[in-house]
Amino acid sequence: MLLNHLNPSIKALTVCILVVHLAFVFEPMTVFLFLIWTIAATFIFGKVNWKKYVLYFLPFFIFAIGMLWTTIAFADTSEHTNKVINMLGLTLPLDSFLVALALSLRILNVAALSLMFIFTTNMVDFILSLIQQLKLPPKIAYGVLAGYRFLPMMKDEIKIIHAAHQVRGVSQGKSLKDKFSKYKRFAIPLLASAIRKAERTAVAMESKGFTGDRNRTFYRQFFVTKRDLILPGILLFGFWGAWFL
Amino acid sequence: MNNWRFKEIVVLAALSVVFAVVYLAFLPVGAVLVGFFGPIGYDFIFGIWFIVSIIAAYIIRKPGAAFLSETIAAMVEVLIGNAVGPMLIVTGMIQGIGAEAVFAATKWKNYSTWVLMAAGMGSAITSFIYGYFMSGYAALATGYVLAMFIIRLISGALIAGLLGKALSDGLAKTGVLSSFALGKEYRRKNAA
Repeated sequence: MLLNHLNPSIKALTVCILVVHLAFVFEPMTVFLFLIWTIAATFIFGKVNWKKYVLYFLPFFIFAIGMLWTTIAFADTSEHTNKVINMLGLTLPLDSFLVALALSLRILNVAALSLMFIFTTNMVDFILSLIQQLKLPPKIAYGVLAGYRFLPMMKDEIKIIHAAHQVRGVSQGKSLKDKFSKYKRFAIPLLASAIRKAERTAVAMESKGFTGDRNRTFYRQFFVTKRDLILPGILLFGFWGAWFL
Repeated sequence: MNNWRFKEIVVLAALSVVFAVVYLAFLPVGAVLVGFFGPIGYDFIFGIWFIVSIIAAYIIRKPGAAFLSETIAAMVEVLIGNAVGPMLIVTGMIQGIGAEAVFAATKWKNYSTWVLMAAGMGSAITSFIYGYFMSGYAALATGYVLAMFIIRLISGALIAGLLGKALSDGLAKTGVLSSFALGKEYRRKNAA
C-alpha cells in the first residue's frame, strides 16, 4: 500500500502545509470538496481500518457542531449584507451561516488529514525519519523515544501506587471531592517515579556509549524518493481543484 | 544544547510524556466545554496545556527548557495518536515559545512565582495569536474574541503558573530533584 510506505517526514510536512492552506479558506464548498478528496485518498491509497477510523472521527462531529452554532451566535455582524437563509425555522444571515459552515467543515477536514497521517504511520519510524530527514538532534529524538517507552510502564506505576495506598488504608474515594484528592495523592509519586526512571535510563544509555552525536549510523534508514512526492501532489491538486470549482 | 546533560534531556522527555497524557485527557474535557460555551470553552482550561513548560523550566532552569518540553509533549501526543495530527507539534512549539520568551527576558535567571505566572501568560498570548488565524477567530465578534483572550491569560497564569509551581515544589520536597537546579536550591535553603 502506497500511503503506509511513504516517508513519514514528507507525509507530516504535507499534512501541515495543507492545514495552513485550509486556514485561509472561509468558503464552505472548497472545504467540503477537499474533505471528500482527503477521505477518498486515505482509503484508496492507504491500508486503514475503517471501523477504527470512524470511531476516531466521530468526536469531531460534536466539536464541529459546537463550532457551527457558536460561530453563528457570536458572529462578527459589522459587515453583513441583507441576504438571509431559513433553516430549521430560524432566519440567519447568509454570510455568517456560510462562514460558520466553512469553519466547522475545516475542523472535520483537519481531522481527516491528521487521521490519514496517524493511521498510516509507524510512530517510531516517524521519529527516526525526523532525525534523518529533518535534522532533529539525536539527543532529543532518543530522549523522546526513551520517554515514550515509559508510557506503558506508567500504567503499572499507577497500579502500584494505588495498591500502596490501599494497603495503608487510604480511603478510595466515592464523592467528587475524594476523587479530586485522589488525583492530588497520585500526581507527585507518579512524577517522582517517572523522574527516577528517566535518570536511570539516561545513565544506562550514556554508559553504553550514547553521546547524541549527529554522525551516527542507523539500523533503519529512511530516504526521500520520487514516490514520496505523489501524496503532496495528489492533495495539493485536490485542494486547488476544489478552490477553483 | 551543549550545556545540557543527557540526564536532563531524558527527564525533560519523561515529564513531557506524563503531561502529554494529561493534555490528551483534557481534550475531551475541553470539547465538552466547547459544546456548551462555544470556542471560549477551551480558554477556561487552556492553562493546563502550558503547564509542562513551566514545570520543566522551573526544575531544570536552562535556556530552551520551556520550549523543548512543550514541543516534546506535542510530539508524544502525536506518537500516542490524537486527531490534531502532526500539526500539533507546531502548536506545541508556538506555546513553548511564549513561555520561553518570558524566561529569556529574565536571562533565565529569575524563577519567582510572578515570572512563572508571566510565562504561562506568554504561552497564552502566542497560542492565541496562532489560534486567531488557524481556528478562524476572525469570524467571531470582537467582544467575544477579547473575552476569550482575557480568560486564556488568566487560565495561563493560574493553571500553568501557579499549579505548575505547586507541583514542582511538591516534587522537590520528595528529593528526586536533588541533581537538578530546583532540588539544589531546596537543599541550599534547608541547609541555611
